[in-house]
Amino acid sequence: MSDMLMAPQETTASTKEPRYSTPGTWFTRLAVPIALVTIIVIGAIASPKFLTQGNLLNVLNANSTMGLVALGITFVAVSGAMTDLSVPALVALGALISLGLQPTLGPVGAPIAGLAVATVGGSINGLLVGYFRINPIIATLGTGFVLLGVSQIMTGGGILYGQPSSLSNFVGGTMLGIPVFVWMFVVVALILWPLLSRTAYGRWVRATGGNYEAARASGVPVRFVKALSFTLTGFLSGLCGVLIALSNGQARPIVGAGYDFLALTAVVIGGTSLFGGNGSIVRTVGGVLVTALIGNLIILTGLPTQSRNLVTGIIVVAAVAVDAYFRRKATRA
Amino acid sequence: MNAPALKMTGISKEFPGIRALADVDLEVRAGEVHAIVGENGAGKSTLVKILNGVYQPDAGTIEVHGEEVRLTEPTEARRHGIGMVYQELNLVPDLTVAENITLGSMPHSGPFIDRGRIAQSANRVLEMLDTGLDSRARVATLSISEQQLVEIAKVLREDPSILVFDEPTSSLGERETRTLFNVIRRLRERGIAIIYISHRLQEVMEIGDRVTVLRDGRRIETRDISGTTPEQMVRLMVGRELAEMFPKLPLTPGEPVLRVESISATGRFANISLTVREHEIVGLGGLVGSGRTEVARAIFGLDHIDSGRIEVRGTAIGGSGVRRHIRAGIALVPEDRKGEGIIPELSIRENVTLPIITRITNVLIVLLRRERAIAQEIVGRLNVVPPHVERPIGSFSGGNQQKVVLGKWLLAKPQVLVLDEPTRGVDVGAKADIHRIIGEFARDGGAVLMISSELPELLAVCDRIFVLHEGNLAAEIPRTEMDEESVMRAATGQVPK
Amino acid sequence: MNRSRAGRIALEGIRFRLIIVLVMVLIIGALTSENFLTLNMVHSVFDRASILGLLALGLTPVLIAGQIDLSVGSVLSMSGITTIMLQPVIGSVPALVCGLGVGLLIGLINAVLVVVFKINSLVATLGTSLIFASLALLLTKAYPVASQNPIFGLGLTQSIAVVFTPRALIFFVIAILMFIWLHSTPPGRHLYAVGGNVAAASAAGINTNWHLAFVMVLSGLMSGSAGVIQSLSNATGSPVAGSTMLIPAITAVVIGGTPLEGGRGSSLQTVGGVIALGTLTRLLESQGVPSYTQDICSGLLLILLITLDRLAISAERASTSRTHRRERVVSTNPKYSQERETHV
Repeated sequence: MSDMLMAPQETTASTKEPRYSTPGTWFTRLAVPIALVTIIVIGAIASPKFLTQGNLLNVLNANSTMGLVALGITFVAVSGAMTDLSVPALVALGALISLGLQPTLGPVGAPIAGLAVATVGGSINGLLVGYFRINPIIATLGTGFVLLGVSQIMTGGGILYGQPSSLSNFVGGTMLGIPVFVWMFVVVALILWPLLSRTAYGRWVRATGGNYEAARASGVPVRFVKALSFTLTGFLSGLCGVLIALSNGQARPIVGAGYDFLALTAVVIGGTSLFGGNGSIVRTVGGVLVTALIGNLIILTGLPTQSRNLVTGIIVVAAVAVDAYFRRKATRA
Repeated sequence: MNAPALKMTGISKEFPGIRALADVDLEVRAGEVHAIVGENGAGKSTLVKILNGVYQPDAGTIEVHGEEVRLTEPTEARRHGIGMVYQELNLVPDLTVAENITLGSMPHSGPFIDRGRIAQSANRVLEMLDTGLDSRARVATLSISEQQLVEIAKVLREDPSILVFDEPTSSLGERETRTLFNVIRRLRERGIAIIYISHRLQEVMEIGDRVTVLRDGRRIETRDISGTTPEQMVRLMVGRELAEMFPKLPLTPGEPVLRVESISATGRFANISLTVREHEIVGLGGLVGSGRTEVARAIFGLDHIDSGRIEVRGTAIGGSGVRRHIRAGIALVPEDRKGEGIIPELSIRENVTLPIITRITNVLIVLLRRERAIAQEIVGRLNVVPPHVERPIGSFSGGNQQKVVLGKWLLAKPQVLVLDEPTRGVDVGAKADIHRIIGEFARDGGAVLMISSELPELLAVCDRIFVLHEGNLAAEIPRTEMDEESVMRAATGQVPK
Repeated sequence: MNRSRAGRIALEGIRFRLIIVLVMVLIIGALTSENFLTLNMVHSVFDRASILGLLALGLTPVLIAGQIDLSVGSVLSMSGITTIMLQPVIGSVPALVCGLGVGLLIGLINAVLVVVFKINSLVATLGTSLIFASLALLLTKAYPVASQNPIFGLGLTQSIAVVFTPRALIFFVIAILMFIWLHSTPPGRHLYAVGGNVAAASAAGINTNWHLAFVMVLSGLMSGSAGVIQSLSNATGSPVAGSTMLIPAITAVVIGGTPLEGGRGSSLQTVGGVIALGTLTRLLESQGVPSYTQDICSGLLLILLITLDRLAISAERASTSRTHRRERVVSTNPKYSQERETHV
């Protein structure tokens, strides 16, 4: 390409630099592996069923949909927009539309419509936060509220049922022994990972979150970057909803409940800061695994399911407190 | 009179790499208006911060009414009767004038505020200033100058015997300045010792009794106003030998690259026109607050303009928006390095390639090896130490960070390089490197517009200097007529427009 | 130019928005429904709005101080179930006190997170909101709990003087007390300083941390009282009672004219916003609009108002002189950092 920079002598072996790290980076790098090991050990001790193939596959299957949302939230967090609280509503919209419009659009058209609507919803968030610069928490709380109401209107408060089809059978089944859900999560993660860490767009996202004004003054299209991260989250939330609806054959507006906090937990545990700048898909995947295993442990040890959210909430607060602590230390240094 | 109200003796203060004050004496008598003048960086603000207890001097003593004091924090200074009126207003917009004045020590009867006594207390001070302000008005509804009067009233309430005004008229119009001067005269009559810091030499002539000139952290001279002229003050402010920073490459300017025609932005600057040609380094001089940074930001597209044209090589840039201006070939090294220059968590490599990142990609993926090589090359050329491009830029010194910011834009190969205080807070060695690079850029055909508060730097490096004064273009000075006095004169508004 | 003109219109609109909303709702109501403007309707609005109103009253000083509290809904749920579940164990009145105590406690936790750990109030209360919402579900096993003493709370909804009920009166009385506090006591006035210009507040010797902690605790107490009153009135403790009340509470405060940025607001304005929103809700109800559509309306209203606020701010910023911003860099003012940018 004519405007590609001509690089000077490209050395195949780049000059070795000493690795640079602060206590903060050590924490974020080790937190997930340590947590994983700890949980696996505790799990193996606590329940004989824990380390079985069936259980682990089950865990992955049950959490892949949440994982998709967490991937989207990663972009939102890294771009400095903290999180997206409208996710439950977007999941619900994706789910309900993919079933509700089946009579008119068919078994494939309806899910596509569901994806489209959720993406539009995400774009509205993107508009409010990226272009109008409204606080992302308040904005997404508001749109979530509105969209949840919309989804409730659609069902009149009841349940929507869908027809089984080859698509829904595929989605609910397995390929090579691994559930399709898990495949979807893996595929999306594999696509998004280089997007965030190796593309120009990913660089923009990290710059926007790292220092909005400096990024803007360096030619980064900051408003677009922030907006797009919400659009992406909208799409992934919709995908999550579509997958759930198709595999279950039914959906209610409450189907997305809790996904925002679970996804947020996964992202935070993975070591991504909510205030932007650093973060990666790999870390989020690790966070998803940890969150998933915690939830699994809770079920296996017979604790009531609500305690999962409790543990989640405490972890989020603790993780943010630690992150805030390291940040303050860094600026004071 | 026995002891003067304030006596500062032998005050010295050093910061890492900079000697802010060296053995400065200052004596202010009760009932006098003592002006302090000096160019940017002369040490005025440091001296005042020491007086206010924000900094502690490395050496020297402070005596208030003959008694030696140690001012470890602002409340200490207030206790000793030193009051400060800042440029930046520290008022609460939604409280009333009276509440702002009495904030922190509101008179109350039982648990309830005593509005009567609050009003009384406030009006007492307001009357001293003869302002006619209604103490029940919400501060947010007042004009800037009225707000400033409230700020003064707030300080007066503590009954200071020494009052410091820091650039008080910078946001005041003609009429309001009159009011302020009446107030100052009244305060002087009450025996308060007043220190008046200002760039506006005409005002200093009008309101001051004596003036102390600071330069490079030293007290040059203290004189009576009655025997002084602004020209003499200017000469004292800048009189030093010009040391060449680096040998100036003799370059012949070529075609005009940047043409700015009559740009205006209400409240920031008005009717600015300038041209920068190939191989040329044009300086943009003026005092702090004269609008230089605003003009630079507007040229780069960071802020919008209300009217006027900006052209690069004959093509006008339509609308604002940084990306459009970058595409047109303009680059800006901003004044606020930490806020707008670097992204601290990202590495040098990631920072330095940010504007050109889309050009180092193969379809979508960034070519890391090429990027690293580019980063290493520029880091080497700029002499960044240590040349570790993977380290987060936040961990490097200010001078190195500045070089990276400069390098970032050099990589973008702009037509016009706008630099806002490129060597501020940078050590001597890095400074020389930066000057060398700027010179090379100009030699290779670039056009440079440079803002600097350091006169010697401007004079050494620039071919022409445009001087701004209060948002207007005061003068365009060619190299043949360039000297510190001519620049200062224009900067302080003594040149007919 | 267009930007600033739009902003100025928005600015003016905002100042009068409470009146605009109220008038619009009344007009629409009067036109569409015959028994709209009746005393009965007023009674019903006052009564129903009281619960939401207490939440909004708790939020008001928090917003004035430049913070936010997203946990109000969860606190309401927690206090409600605490009261009902403890009734058979320790008696109705002690249970009531415990319910209030729970609100106080959660408010204290929020205060510690914000003031001691210096976590952004947005993030901190988001976390506690989740923690206590799930705790509520956990404690009740996700089922509402019926009160063993349903008569105790009946009196709360009886009519007094035609238009009032005891709980409505509680709401109005607290609003008036809060107004007196904010308007006529030094700590109240200082709160505006903390939210309006924290540097000026510190410089004047105000203990900003104490004020921040206080408003967080107060908000918890308000939400707690809302939960107690609601659960006693309905003789039911529901773990999800508060989960849909956060947005309407914020909307009510915003309608009333208290901005999210801090430094301004009043409890009477919030009362106005609560009544306006309550009237709107009542109107929709009377037309048979289902509750989720009402939610949509309050959500849309909130987004609209916040967007207008945002436009107004950016219009204001565009017109103030830049020289002030620049001079700040070199002025002799000692630097105090303000960590509020992340909030709005």
